[in-house]
Amino acid sequence: MTDKDIKQIEENGEMITVVEFGLDEQKGKSKSTKTEPNAIEIDASGVEEFLERQEAAQIHHVRSAKEQSQDNKRHGSQSKRRLVGNTIIHIVLAIMSIIWIAPFVFIVFESFRCESTGLAGYIIPHKWGFDNYIRLFTQTEFPRWFLSTFLMGLVCAVVQTVFILAMSYALSRNRFKGRKFLMNAMLVLGMFPGFLTLILLYTLLNGWGLTGSNAPYGLVLIYVASSGMGYYVCKGFFDTISHSLDEAAMVDGASKFQIFYKIIIPMSKPIIIYTILMGFMGPWGDFITARFMSDNDPLGFNVATGLQWLIGETRVDKYYTTFCAGGVIVALPITLLFMFLQKYYVAGVTGGAVKG
Amino acid sequence: MTKLDSLAYLKLNKWQKFIYKLKCFFCAIPGWLDDKIRYINRFFKKLFFKIGETFVDVWQTFKNGSWSTKVSFLVMGFGNFFHKQWLRGLVFLILEVVFILYMILAGAYWLSMFGSLGKIETRTEMVPSDLLDGELVEQIYYGDNSFKILLYGLLTIFFIIAFIYTWRLNVKQCKICDQITRAGKKIKSSGDDLKSMVDNDFHKTLLALPVAGITMFTVLPIIFMILVAFTNYDKNHDGLMNLFQWVGLDNFNSVLTFGSGMQVAFGEILAWTLIWAFFATFSCYFLGMFVAIMINKKGIKIKKFWRTILVMTIAVPQFISLLYISNLFADNGIVNATLMNWGWIQSPIKFWGDGTLAKIMVLVINIWVGIPYLMLITTGILMNIPADLYESARIDGANAFQQFAKITLPYMLFVTGPYLLTSFVSNINNFNVIYLLTQGGPTNPVWGDVGGYVAGDTTILITWLFGITTGNDANYKMASVIGILIFIVVSVLSLVVFSIMPATKREDDFS
Amino acid sequence: MASVKLTNVKKIYGKNTVAVHDFNLDIADKEFIVFVGPSGCGKSTTLRMIAGLEDISEGTVEIDGRVVNDLLPKDRGIAMVFQNYALYPHLTVFENMAFSLRLKKVDNDEIYKRVTEAAEVLGITEYLTRRPRELSGGQRQRVAIGRAMVRDSKVFLMDEPLSNLDAKLRNQMRAEIILLRKKINTTFIYVTHDQTEAMTLGDRIVIMKDGYIMQVGSPSQVFEMPDNLFVAEFIGAPKMNTVHTALELEDGKYYVSPFGVKMPVDGDKGEALKEKGVEAQDIILGVRPEHITLSNSKNPCAVPCQIRVNEMMGSELHLHVTTPTDEPLVIRVPTVDILPNQLAALVPGVRIYVTFRSKVMHFFNAQSELNLLTMPDSTEEATTKESPAETDEQVQPENK
Repeated sequence: MTDKDIKQIEENGEMITVVEFGLDEQKGKSKSTKTEPNAIEIDASGVEEFLERQEAAQIHHVRSAKEQSQDNKRHGSQSKRRLVGNTIIHIVLAIMSIIWIAPFVFIVFESFRCESTGLAGYIIPHKWGFDNYIRLFTQTEFPRWFLSTFLMGLVCAVVQTVFILAMSYALSRNRFKGRKFLMNAMLVLGMFPGFLTLILLYTLLNGWGLTGSNAPYGLVLIYVASSGMGYYVCKGFFDTISHSLDEAAMVDGASKFQIFYKIIIPMSKPIIIYTILMGFMGPWGDFITARFMSDNDPLGFNVATGLQWLIGETRVDKYYTTFCAGGVIVALPITLLFMFLQKYYVAGVTGGAVKG
Repeated sequence: MTKLDSLAYLKLNKWQKFIYKLKCFFCAIPGWLDDKIRYINRFFKKLFFKIGETFVDVWQTFKNGSWSTKVSFLVMGFGNFFHKQWLRGLVFLILEVVFILYMILAGAYWLSMFGSLGKIETRTEMVPSDLLDGELVEQIYYGDNSFKILLYGLLTIFFIIAFIYTWRLNVKQCKICDQITRAGKKIKSSGDDLKSMVDNDFHKTLLALPVAGITMFTVLPIIFMILVAFTNYDKNHDGLMNLFQWVGLDNFNSVLTFGSGMQVAFGEILAWTLIWAFFATFSCYFLGMFVAIMINKKGIKIKKFWRTILVMTIAVPQFISLLYISNLFADNGIVNATLMNWGWIQSPIKFWGDGTLAKIMVLVINIWVGIPYLMLITTGILMNIPADLYESARIDGANAFQQFAKITLPYMLFVTGPYLLTSFVSNINNFNVIYLLTQGGPTNPVWGDVGGYVAGDTTILITWLFGITTGNDANYKMASVIGILIFIVVSVLSLVVFSIMPATKREDDFS
Repeated sequence: MASVKLTNVKKIYGKNTVAVHDFNLDIADKEFIVFVGPSGCGKSTTLRMIAGLEDISEGTVEIDGRVVNDLLPKDRGIAMVFQNYALYPHLTVFENMAFSLRLKKVDNDEIYKRVTEAAEVLGITEYLTRRPRELSGGQRQRVAIGRAMVRDSKVFLMDEPLSNLDAKLRNQMRAEIILLRKKINTTFIYVTHDQTEAMTLGDRIVIMKDGYIMQVGSPSQVFEMPDNLFVAEFIGAPKMNTVHTALELEDGKYYVSPFGVKMPVDGDKGEALKEKGVEAQDIILGVRPEHITLSNSKNPCAVPCQIRVNEMMGSELHLHVTTPTDEPLVIRVPTVDILPNQLAALVPGVRIYVTFRSKVMHFFNAQSELNLLTMPDSTEEATTKESPAETDEQVQPENK
């Protein structure tokens, strides 16, 4: 306490603590009489405030502990309520599952019915057998429909994926002139009902002999040609890949093409599988295009139009159970494939929904 | 109206806030429109300015260009040859030769007929046959083909535009070559061109095929069909046996003239289409979200099992389940038979025979179809909502419902806003569900039979379009009119939604 | 092993958004140069122009005496480390580092040799078979550096390489970069927004703002003699205290009166001002927090202040105080100089007295914000211009 000084002065009716340094440097050893030796007893308003705040915090702490114990008491009744709620939800989910699964169980049962072929008012067959399946493959064009749909699915899975990847990469990774125009144009084109284009395409493809019984060839052309417009989900995925990866590769000496197939493609496995899956499943679910292009010629149907044709007004009595068998045959492999790749489907669909 | 500053706004109560927002919205419309008009104005100004600039540039290139450039104005690619860019030169030259040959051999003819869509009718005459000893047989003398004239005329216009663009490119390249030569630098060789196809111009390589496909199979047909809407192309005027002509706005008149049969049908179908799309979208959306929340709830067992069951129904191709369900509810289907067996009803319920019932059935079955799909989407997004949002809400004293209304729903709407729009649009065009369930029936006795196709209570625009095209009359002109109207409905809707939606997310925000 | 020269380099986005104005800089061979500045100042853009990731709108970039404007990144002889590491997630660490060599079709044995050597230097040999996502942030950073090392490039570019690491790791990596630099001994260009990194790493620092170079100089130069107010405030933490005041000239002596307390400017600074013939004018006075000394009421030049906040950092104490003119002031005092009881008394509300040593005062023209001691002599010109463009003239890189 020789060279420094702490004191209190009154100013405008307030007590203020003053801390002074280096007094002796200026005044030598001659000490001022104002020196207050007991520096600990400072009564600064700031200090008091600080202490008050700390005390308040402690009180608050105690209070919250009390609340907690009350919470614990309430928790008992809450958990009971939750149990009841959860039970109800379980029941609802069980009923839902039955509703959702029932039609598929019914269709399997009906496909094994041997005693009649038309609509029946019951589900469980009186006589079981594979008659319908045999009839499906021997008396209808189903094998042809199935094969052509399958092949269309394969072609779409390959070509469509290539197109979409190309489109997405070009639009996601490059800022070129006309890019915005291209994207806007595709947005606007997408607002026209796609069916409209079929009127001209039918006439064109008819001229090349790709309709009627040859419809699958024409169909595959139609599916594939415009598939670039479905770039959205895939581009959304590419957009999330950091651009600095491209740049790092560029500095490392990769060309754009090398960046594409050495960096982007290997990183995009989930979205590529999703695109392939979608490409493959497209032709299985298409009805309107296939129906229009086949021109009601059973030889040119795909499975959807074919099976619908089987239960048309005049044929339903004869082929209803056969239709059920066909449905089972089609649904089985697709469902298995789908369940197998479900993870990728979910990723793609969720990504697509979030990005619009 | 006066704009409140943000603090004054905060002082308002809930109602006042809502009214204020509403007022703001309506007051903003004129400004918004004005903005759009200005934008279009600016666009055209810019366009004309650019065209003018192009002409000036072409002229300057000619004036200042070397002699090889000047020759290139006539013989495309000459400048490239001169600068040893063999590849580019060859491509230009071939394009020019092909174009000129095409124009002389075919293009000129199609173009000259484009205005009238054909003059010479096809006629049949009885002429003595040589083979049958002079017996009279029918002989068809084919005249012009309106369909081909319309198509090839359109293609020729495409080609001409493409050619002008190519020519301009050719001139531009000569100019660049001249500039580079003057600066004493090296001009890109053909090898460089090939190399840049996989490097700097890789996107062009990638885009070439998909864009060509889209142009051929989407752009061309759509423009063609837009043109068809202004002709009288239908089964009786198929272009080959009977020519069709330009008829101006007649087709639009017949759909939009108040009180005409077509107009009544269109109005009814449009109304149902919008109702259908609205309910189909939002019922699935909310119920799907509800199911997802139920499955995600803490304490629910075998979550994966419930999810798998629902996902399985997505996997089965839709047409199978739809066709099967359609028969399930048929007059002699399982549902009716079972109900009668149990003695609950005396005669079968006509699920598909009554307009209102059919509409409800279609919506309900669409919910059945849609819930699993939306459950899947929303599960992913629900899991992304930061848990601390809920925790802080719980500390603030929000109950389960309040948490849903104040956190889950706003978050979901924000994230899936664009998806909802897409979903709405795809429901407007949801052919499969309607057609495979009801084929548009039951037929409406009042307005059902117009335009050459029998329309019903559940018919939506797209199934109507399908029916009109494939029906007995094959009324193509009306089909394209309806197609255009669908486009207008969808685009207006999208524009409105996009301008209302808070700050549409930009793509660059993600990168 | 190369010098880099930027001449009048400009970057213009779109029609008239200028990101970098007239950038002139000579970087000597084996020099470690740091671009530093707040975000959006154009430092990264400049680096990316050198790398070839951005087009150069105007001007030229030379590496080793060769204009590289039209060269692709791979042909410029550069290596680059990115802020977010930019490791290829589907490749192992080894393949990440070997990527550029594989593209160059380098012999397999050679690749193995070079990659393992680099891994050895960086201490990541045991991770060579792992994938990037199995590594920690620091390890990833090392792989990114390793990937740049195997290329044997002439210039090493680093774009905020440490900003994704936590504070502790950052200090550690900073030290490692200094060591690394000794090992690979090549030209470094390093971009950061952190002035500590800039001060500790750079041979020379380029301080940028809004696309302009504010000052180029060695760390001690920019710290002791900042060319302008921006540099003065940017370098040093806590940042320099500034106050508007007047520079007065009485009987050949300079006076300033910050916070209403008049004090003489003597010592070196006074001499320097006199030598330069600086006239009396409105100025901004700058004093670094660590250059403020605690004093007492007896000192006629002491400024009475009231403590608002006291931040105890352990070795030093930061005091945020208000001056009589109600302006904030930050003071940094080493705790070893204060007795314990006084330290305890330095709490909010307490009054203290502080003095500024004229030795460490900085004088800036109130309009141009240029340092009175380093600004060009034509004061009229400097004060009439308001855009910082004129500062470029006197930030020409000094030749070493």
